[in-house]
Amino acid sequence: MNWLSKSFGYAGALSACLSLALVVESPQARAADMPGPVKAVKVKQALADLGKRLFFDPRLSGDGELACASCHQPEKGFADGMELSDAYPGTLGFRNTPTLINSAQRAVWFHDGRMGTSLNDVTREMLTETYLMNMDMRLMQERLKQDPVYVKMFKAAGMSEPSNGGVRNAIPEYLKTLVSKNAPYDTGKMSASAKRGQDIFMGKGECIACHSGDRFTDDKPHNTGVPENDKIFEEPLRHITFVTFGKFMGIGNYMNLRRDVGGHVVTNYADKTDYGQFVTPTLRELKYTAPYMHNGTLRSLQEVVTFYNEGGGDDVNKDSHLKPLFLSEREQADLVSFLEALSGDPLTSKTYVADEIDTDYVPIKSWRKTKN
Amino acid sequence: MTFSISNPLRMASAVMVTTACLWSGSAYAADAKIGVSDVPNADPKSKLIFSNTTGGDADADWPLAALGKPPIPDDNRQTPAKIELGKMLFFDGRLGGDGSLSCASCHEPSVGWDVEAKISFGYPGTTHWRNSQTIVNSAYYGKLFWAGSSKSLESQAKSAAGGAVAGNGEADMMEARLAFIPEYRERFADVFGDQWPRLSNAWRAIASFERTIFQDDTPFDAYLRGDDKALHAAQKRGLELFTGKAGCMECHNGPLLSDEKYYNTGVPALDLWNDDALAQITFRYELYAKGSTEDMYRSTKDDPGFYFRTKEKADKGKFRVPSLRYTKYTEPYMHNGMLPTLKSVVQFYNAGGGINEFSANKSKLIKPLGLSDKEIDDIVSFLESLSGDELIVEAPDLPEYAPLANARGRK
Repeated sequence: MNWLSKSFGYAGALSACLSLALVVESPQARAADMPGPVKAVKVKQALADLGKRLFFDPRLSGDGELACASCHQPEKGFADGMELSDAYPGTLGFRNTPTLINSAQRAVWFHDGRMGTSLNDVTREMLTETYLMNMDMRLMQERLKQDPVYVKMFKAAGMSEPSNGGVRNAIPEYLKTLVSKNAPYDTGKMSASAKRGQDIFMGKGECIACHSGDRFTDDKPHNTGVPENDKIFEEPLRHITFVTFGKFMGIGNYMNLRRDVGGHVVTNYADKTDYGQFVTPTLRELKYTAPYMHNGTLRSLQEVVTFYNEGGGDDVNKDSHLKPLFLSEREQADLVSFLEALSGDPLTSKTYVADEIDTDYVPIKSWRKTKN
Repeated sequence: MTFSISNPLRMASAVMVTTACLWSGSAYAADAKIGVSDVPNADPKSKLIFSNTTGGDADADWPLAALGKPPIPDDNRQTPAKIELGKMLFFDGRLGGDGSLSCASCHEPSVGWDVEAKISFGYPGTTHWRNSQTIVNSAYYGKLFWAGSSKSLESQAKSAAGGAVAGNGEADMMEARLAFIPEYRERFADVFGDQWPRLSNAWRAIASFERTIFQDDTPFDAYLRGDDKALHAAQKRGLELFTGKAGCMECHNGPLLSDEKYYNTGVPALDLWNDDALAQITFRYELYAKGSTEDMYRSTKDDPGFYFRTKEKADKGKFRVPSLRYTKYTEPYMHNGMLPTLKSVVQFYNAGGGINEFSANKSKLIKPLGLSDKEIDDIVSFLESLSGDELIVEAPDLPEYAPLANARGRK
């Protein structure tokens, strides 16, 4: 139980910090040691507005075909509803698109946790990586300078002109606005089944050991034995992306590898016992983000609960704390109810979604007399 | 005298040292003891035609000669299997960002192995900023691209596949793609001994294919090999003007008809920049990406060309002299395609070149020539003798992707 109590300790410390706010916000909702809700972050509105338009603008990719929102779709909880993500034209992805809701609070990024807390860096990675948006940001900058709307918006946000550095500040600012809203768990309007599910989540199910904190994740990598998604290796376009990633990350034997090594790219254990660890995902907004797990192999929340009830999957490196839970059918259903209660209103209003963008470029008049 | 044929510059300086006593003003005089074996890229069976220009610069002007076979670098010898592989790769868009553009997209065999528009297509969502150059006879250049930024076809192919407004491909991705094409795996193993196809060998194969795309049997080549009837009267008059009064040989000399040096001839700025939004974007991108001071980035409105190689102000607006071979099929002309026909090019030089933002660097060699209309037509006739039949190559069928063996997970 050492591991469990450590995790509870972490969650407890976190909750202690929040307990005052919790009491003020929704005294009737939860016991004081329960996590949530996700705190809103103060944003610079003009910068966030700029980031919102950039997020929905396909001109931020190399061939102008993909926007951030192509894979992070508002109506799908800022994920894409697919097992494995699409990717830049001519390629396909090998992991499941994660939600961006509450992402400003993340401690680490990507399913393998290879990037830290700087959303600015994450934005750069997403824009420039060859199988993501394949954008030379120097060209992106000049595209934005060609659009009078952006010229105005960058000024309004306190910048002299569009720049790639500005983009990398603005998109993270927009992401800060994506905060869960009105989840029954937060409003205290959970069904009886969900309330029972909460008790299982906290107790017998031990879910909170990893799914702790306001976003219900410890932001740490674990191996739960999720099976490989064979599509990665059966579909050349996905396998090519996987190999490209492996080469760049320095994963050994990448041509013969038939498994996603996950967090190994961060920890790099020589004995490879860190193969197959993936960062605990948030449990918020799951209603919109099926299928689940880093590779989309579990189609429904019921399947996820069944998976853990059976003690997770088969893997030599599986975390030894995963054991069959012996939950009854009804307990499993209650747990699913609780998980569903962690999803709030869809973030699909104009607050979160940019107005339609005219992607045609307009020539600069009197070009010879205008400073570049 | 031994030459390193892959490096014309070094070759030229070797000649300058060893033949200094024969030096005669601006050109090799006809009586200089320069034999055809001294002339890079010349067919040994060719006669030589020396420049008659007076008042040119001090640069040595190689004599005109029939074109010999392309130089083949020691580290990339030709084999039929390599050439065949290179041909496939030349037409394969998977050596690029989104798979939609191959080398052949901007070097289309049916239109002179280049692009018919003033400037080349860019990558989807972009446009390029310079005229696409023909592949025909590219094997003879020691300097590829308009500002000479690549020294070999191998490195040219690599650069073109990678640039944001060209191929926009990334090396790891392009190499990974090759590994998933079984036929390429076999061919790379056969040609290069690669366990998995190596991207550097893809550029080698493409260069080998390109070295087969040359033309050494134009009417002018036949003339230089002794067939006096290969040129008609107007072409012969044009040749006289070319080597004499018009001074063309100051820059367009040797079998390739290029000295591969850099000059600003006053070619006007690309007009598309005035009203084409994509061209404006790419123009600023190039200024920014190739390295400019902020002041230069803000104020420059024309292509600084060779400046980006040297960062010397005196090199702004200079471009490497192109070959005049195969030009019958490669209109429009100049680094930005601003001159639509061969006649307009001759007229341009007859007028003493043009004016551009960097005219302070304009070559002193460019001055009004005083050619009559008939003389202009004669020169155009001669230029047409520098092209033979159109070289057409059909695009090959390309092999498809297939999963690797053991495609099941967790191994």
